[in-house]
Amino acid sequence: MDWNCALTEDRLSDFLEGALASEEREACAAHASNCAACSEMLARVSGLIGEMHALKPLPEPNFLARRIVNNTLRARKRGSDLTSWSGWMALLWQPRFAMGIATVAVTIVILAHAAGPRLSQLTPADLNPVNLMRAGNRQAHLTYARGEKFVNDLRVVYEIRAMLATPEASQALPENQTSPSPDGKQPDTGQREERQFEQRREARMEQSGTVWAMLLASVGGSASHTANGSPL
Amino acid sequence: MRRHTRRVYNLCYRFTGNAAAAQDLSQDVFLRVYRTLRSYQPEYGAFATWLTSVTRNLLVDHYRRTRRDRLTDSIDETPQVDETHSTERTPHQQAEAVELSAQVQAGLSKLSPELREAVILRDLQGMEYGEIRKVLQVPEGTVKSRINRGRIELAKILQEMGVRPH
Repeated sequence: MDWNCALTEDRLSDFLEGALASEEREACAAHASNCAACSEMLARVSGLIGEMHALKPLPEPNFLARRIVNNTLRARKRGSDLTSWSGWMALLWQPRFAMGIATVAVTIVILAHAAGPRLSQLTPADLNPVNLMRAGNRQAHLTYARGEKFVNDLRVVYEIRAMLATPEASQALPENQTSPSPDGKQPDTGQREERQFEQRREARMEQSGTVWAMLLASVGGSASHTANGSPL
Repeated sequence: MRRHTRRVYNLCYRFTGNAAAAQDLSQDVFLRVYRTLRSYQPEYGAFATWLTSVTRNLLVDHYRRTRRDRLTDSIDETPQVDETHSTERTPHQQAEAVELSAQVQAGLSKLSPELREAVILRDLQGMEYGEIRKVLQVPEGTVKSRINRGRIELAKILQEMGVRPH
């Protein structure tokens, strides 16, 4: 079998790894024994392969594994936050958020049902932007007018209450106020209370005197009626 | 975890020749693995192969991203190599291994990215041709060709650098 330097270079690794057929291996070896360049190349590459296989792996820095773990854990934490769609969904599916969302949805439905447009009464013309604009404008003015009316009503009520309260205050004032003493000095508290007590006692006496008079009159009438022979 | 970390870090370091970039890329690899873990299917192959594939894709992205930066750098600049090895060897052996590792690293940095990744996966990561084919997503014949050419070119580069086989 013919062999040359180009073939040696092409099949060098196969020769060194024993992957050549026996005939090719013998031809390559025979060529190399007569060719100094191929022989030297075979020796160099064979030595290089042996040296590289003998090289031990380089030790990685001690902190590298720990840093890798930390970075991976940080990435997992970020991933579980808001950087991904699944992170958002996991957050929203928590019971408190789901409950909150459901409550808001129910509230919106109730409000829409109470104050919003009836879907069954909607016509295509209602969806016209001009009509929507007019309806919104009308609703805004209505809301403002209702608010204004409410405030005016409140004002009227308070004015009426104020008018009703004023006479009582004017009547109650003399009772509470004391006239100044003749010598221009304000009477002390004991004298004022004594006068009020006397006034109330006199009023009660007058009232009780009237009641007694009425009672006596009625009793006198019945006595005269009894004296006239009618049964008691 | 530590085994995978070391494997990814070594692949990144051997490809970039830069320890800081290899650390950053290793973190990015595991972040991407975490985010795309659902896309991993056992039919694709071993997890290590899939992890290597993710790493390789990130390395290609990084290579393209930093191409402009590299063009402005000096072509004679060799990467800084800070390597420590196991204490099982004698100090002399350790020193030789560190030196050899640095020389191989310097030679790898002068290879084209296609040949470099093929040689790294085969001779430094110890992967089979079938696994490399899955990672690089090229036919096995192409994989073998790249590995062969990469080895020959690397041997020539080291020879030009004055490195003799130990």
